[in-house]
Amino acid sequence: MRQTRVLLADDHTLIRAGLRLVLEQQPEFVVVGEAADGREAVSLAQSLKPDIVVMDIGMPGLNGIEACRQVRESLPETQVVMLSMHSDEGYVLRALKAGARAYLLKDSAEADLARAIRAASEGKSFFSPAVGKVLLEDYMRTLQRTGAEDTYELLSPREREILQLVAEGQSSKEIANLLNLSVHTVETHRARVMQKLNLRGIPELTLYAVRKGIIS
Amino acid sequence: MPTSPPNPQQPTTDPDAPSRRVHWVLLAAFLGLLGLILASGYQATRTLREMHQQEQDARRALAERAQNLSNLYISIEVYNEGIQRYVGYPSEKADPQVRQQLDRLTADIDAKLTEYPDHRQPQEAAFLAAILDLYQRQRELYRLALSATPSSQDQSLMSSRILTLRTQLLDRSGELTAWSGRQMHDSDEALLSQFGRLQADLTGSLSIALAGGLLLVIASMAYILRLERQTRGRYRELAHSRHELERLSSRLVDAQEEERRSISRELHDEVGQSLGALLVDLGRLSNNLPADSLEIRERLEHMKSLAEQTVGTVRDIALLLRPSMLDDLGLVAALEWQGREVSRRSEMEVAVESENVSDDLPDEYKICVYRLVQEALNNAVRHSHARNARVRVTAGASGIAVAVSDDGRGFDPQRARGLGILGMEERVRRLGGTLNVKSSPGQGAMVTAELPLPVAAGTPA
Repeated sequence: MRQTRVLLADDHTLIRAGLRLVLEQQPEFVVVGEAADGREAVSLAQSLKPDIVVMDIGMPGLNGIEACRQVRESLPETQVVMLSMHSDEGYVLRALKAGARAYLLKDSAEADLARAIRAASEGKSFFSPAVGKVLLEDYMRTLQRTGAEDTYELLSPREREILQLVAEGQSSKEIANLLNLSVHTVETHRARVMQKLNLRGIPELTLYAVRKGIIS
Repeated sequence: MPTSPPNPQQPTTDPDAPSRRVHWVLLAAFLGLLGLILASGYQATRTLREMHQQEQDARRALAERAQNLSNLYISIEVYNEGIQRYVGYPSEKADPQVRQQLDRLTADIDAKLTEYPDHRQPQEAAFLAAILDLYQRQRELYRLALSATPSSQDQSLMSSRILTLRTQLLDRSGELTAWSGRQMHDSDEALLSQFGRLQADLTGSLSIALAGGLLLVIASMAYILRLERQTRGRYRELAHSRHELERLSSRLVDAQEEERRSISRELHDEVGQSLGALLVDLGRLSNNLPADSLEIRERLEHMKSLAEQTVGTVRDIALLLRPSMLDDLGLVAALEWQGREVSRRSEMEVAVESENVSDDLPDEYKICVYRLVQEALNNAVRHSHARNARVRVTAGASGIAVAVSDDGRGFDPQRARGLGILGMEERVRRLGGTLNVKSSPGQGAMVTAELPLPVAAGTPA
């Protein structure tokens, strides 16, 4: 079996050691390197070309989000699992915009790390359950206080299906195959979803899905 | 650290402070000068009036005397003529009218002589004596003419004597006119010299007044200059200490931020990471436990939740001290995060809008705007019980504008200038900006700030 090659980037040795221990218990993963800041993470990723970079957001010098953007730009095959202390949507959305596939809270890292890496290496999204919970709470509270309409009600069943698949990280072609539709039809549906929900780009759509608890 | 300022309860006595004595001295000098000028003016007027009076008197007296004397002369001349006619034309000798006339003249002259004023000047007395002498001789002649019937020889003798007398009379009369003129001249001279004295007196007192005034002006100028110098010095001191104070409070803000940052870093790096590592270990431990060790698993779960709580607490404290979003995500994301955080924890919903705000603002600008918004939102939640708040940050070519408004119950900004607003003001001022707090009871509140950007920071690199 081909092992998933993982690079760990966190400015704290203890955390890196803990994560390495978690990963080494699973034979499908191999830790190929460790970086202590964003710059080192980018240069190591470029030389080691790992499948996955597990990246802490709060790092000195170059922060995780910027490092993620640079890694994704130079190595499109390498997926990034973001590690963060914050379940706030500002972080989640920016991580998604920088090209991260998964977003893990440090509190629950050891429990969800393996699942997150597996999902990311398959090009799928993954979010710590607590993140979805916080985002949903924020969303519901804002709806309630401002009296705004829940735009999700505007979507048709087919559009909801496509929303979920896009948010999980499936490409239009994959979705078309899965649902037995033409790529063109899928893309039309996708565009209508974006328009109805007033979203710009896949990261916002993904965030929306996480917020609504459609994916986690 | 500069030395501590003097105790405000005991102000030190300033040796340079203008004393009240100087005021009094200057006032007295001014009054004295004024008095001197008034006195000399009064003196001069009085002297002039006196001189005028004297002159009038002298002229009147002189005229009177001259008049008296010339009257006498005229009378005597008339008398002389009468005698001449009497002697020269014997036909008239018998005329009693002529005699009567002569007698009347005699009485008249006698009366004038007796009436003549007693106080006489020596010259005047001499004239009078001469007149008397002439008169006596004429009367003698007249008696002679009356007593005897003169022969023609006698007659010619008498005529020649009368002529002599007449000549003498005319001489005397001329002398009298000359004397009178001289007297007039002397009086003018006296007046002139008196006027000269007055002029000298006036010049003297005016000179004194002028000199005194000059002295006074010099003294006043010196005093004013000294006061001015002192004022300038004091103003400089004030400006200096004000500047010092500003520098100090700005350093205080810096130091506070720096301290917060380092404590936050410490908490995050040391405490947070250790706890994180602990959590990872605990999780691994519970995953590797044999399935039957339920009690240990329970203990482990308890430890985990305790550690998780502690991680949360430490994170909250660290974030309060230094919002890591500012470093990780930039100002706008940090403000949005703060808005959501306040929305989560309070009853107030916060909307954050931004326009053109660059992520690579200088750190002191980011932290200033962030703390400003933090303080304004805190106030809105704690004191105004607002339901909605709106944060708006706009960056332009010249600077950043921040506005935080709420729909709370408002306050009177003049009265409620707490430490919070002062702190905001301090932060904004040290970046050269202005803070404005607008509110009135029942009308919500609006905090606005304008921060000018340094030229290099305005354009993204």
